[in-house]
Amino acid sequence: MTSTLFIGLDGCTFTVLNEMVKDLPGEGITMPFMKKVLEGGVRARLRSTPNPLTPPAWCSIMTGKNPGAHGVFDFIRAEDKGGEVFWTLYDARDVDSEMIWSIASRKKKSVAALNFPLTAPPPEVNGCIVPGFIPAKHLRRNTHPRELFERLKQNVPDFNPKELAWDFDNEKQALEVLSPEDTEKWVRYHLPREEQWFKVAEYVLENDKPDLMAVMFDGTDKIQHQAWPSLDPALVPKNPQGHDLAMRQVCLEYFRNLDRYIERLVSLAGPEAQVFFASDHGFTASTDVLRINAYLAELGYLTWAENDGSEQALRREASDFANLDWSKTTAYCRTPSSNGIHIRVAEKPGDPGISPDDYERFRDKLIADLKALRHPITGKAFVADVLKREEWFPGAHMKEACDLTLVLHDHGFVSIRNLSPSVVQRPTPAGTHHPDGIFLAYGKGIAPRGEVDLQQIVDVCPTLLHSMGLSVPSDLEGQVALNFFDEGWLQEHPVKQGAKTRAVASRAPSEEMDAQERQQMIEQLQMLGYME
Amino acid sequence: MAPDTIIARLIALLEDFTQDWDQEPDAGMSADTLLLADLGFESVDIIQLTVAIEEEFKLFRTPFDKLLMKDGRYVDDLSIGQIATFLQPYVQAA
Repeated sequence: MTSTLFIGLDGCTFTVLNEMVKDLPGEGITMPFMKKVLEGGVRARLRSTPNPLTPPAWCSIMTGKNPGAHGVFDFIRAEDKGGEVFWTLYDARDVDSEMIWSIASRKKKSVAALNFPLTAPPPEVNGCIVPGFIPAKHLRRNTHPRELFERLKQNVPDFNPKELAWDFDNEKQALEVLSPEDTEKWVRYHLPREEQWFKVAEYVLENDKPDLMAVMFDGTDKIQHQAWPSLDPALVPKNPQGHDLAMRQVCLEYFRNLDRYIERLVSLAGPEAQVFFASDHGFTASTDVLRINAYLAELGYLTWAENDGSEQALRREASDFANLDWSKTTAYCRTPSSNGIHIRVAEKPGDPGISPDDYERFRDKLIADLKALRHPITGKAFVADVLKREEWFPGAHMKEACDLTLVLHDHGFVSIRNLSPSVVQRPTPAGTHHPDGIFLAYGKGIAPRGEVDLQQIVDVCPTLLHSMGLSVPSDLEGQVALNFFDEGWLQEHPVKQGAKTRAVASRAPSEEMDAQERQQMIEQLQMLGYME
Repeated sequence: MAPDTIIARLIALLEDFTQDWDQEPDAGMSADTLLLADLGFESVDIIQLTVAIEEEFKLFRTPFDKLLMKDGRYVDDLSIGQIATFLQPYVQAA
């Protein structure tokens, strides 16, 4: 029987959610069921990972640990090899910490995890996994158990992997500037996708009744990237007409559908279940662009590679990956989504990069240079904060983090394009990730407390485990959100501390293998870039 | 592991890998079958294949760059036999 229903809403923010449950003139209440959830349950803002980004943040939700411990920092994983940087995609085997699906499984609970990133190739669990962010052609092989894919094909009406799965060509448009017609089309593309995930979730919940039923809807994030001015109450035009009206309507249609899916899943889970909602990060408006590598070049930290006009050079220039003269570069940003800066440290004398002894001094100067950047119009600091990795990413994987992570004044993602000037205003505000997402609970034993204090993203995993009646592993970094539960329920269900999580088996390459790196195709990885 | 055994396991893996791709190769797969020309691979599929190969042969972080790149350029296509030859030392090491 399902004791815990977890609904992930990628990028969901109270800025939008609060509007969707209001009775707005001419629009009414878009999400009547969520209104009931908010009024009858408890909610908190949820502070994301230091760089509020889908892969590290969902991994923190799934493991209860920070990226320094679980080891996932970005969509792509890169390794600086002295003269070249090699790129590959992170996958489930890179998550160096037990995920909630495995923790619950070995404690004899059944689980279902649908559409979560970094769950392919799927770990062995007691239940099922249909991973997110996987192209349709590869969904069957990455579905656990394999026969589930066939069951879905036979039993879910209109099941269509092509509609359900990740389409790189479509998703890469998340941060491109699209024409008005394309923007509306792009939002509309997410409607059937979400419907497919809902139907899969409905089927699994109805037929398998897993103890922990979890599904993630990611259209919220995608739509907010492209349609933020149609959703942020500070930006929505008063009487939208033409394209503005069409955009507003398709956005409301998306949220109306989402409300219907949630209501159906909550009702299927039954009155005994506790329901939790969380997002990996929030959303806000970005007004400016910082071309970070161009700025580092102006300061003399970085030198662009000569473009010899060859096909390969042109491809590199157009890609989202820095094309640099590595012999003359000491600090650079690898990917826009990282919002971070890597400092190149020479492994031995004569290698490119700074001397290890000079690291602290060099880094302090770089931080000062970054903080000195002023907004060209307001004159205020452009970079709100610069985070040192040892302070923000404690754990075995700390050294894989960027040396410095930037928090920009408008929470925007940097651009790494070789363009001038290094700071420009966007023609219109664009959606970007905000560090505060949502965390809500509703149902039996949940206190109707309304809004409570800020929670941390690592609190989600222990809270879900506790809801299932399981002990909380002693090495989780988060805490059970005690003020989500009512006192009577907590007295009957006191928090139990358990043994540490188990080591992840697949992280044990031989010494020889460990020293070597898997390199894959740069052209492919362009598709995941967050581009200007 | 004998080269033929690796080829046979790769063929079984690739038959499974491509089963939903709506295309039938004219003949069965062999060591000479090419990923792009014969099986309709796109480059994103190669990333997925490297993961599937590692799962099949219980490898982790295999240096596939040595297979995929030649003289600083990506190869145009790959045969099953070429993949098997590349894998042999790693399969034995594992």
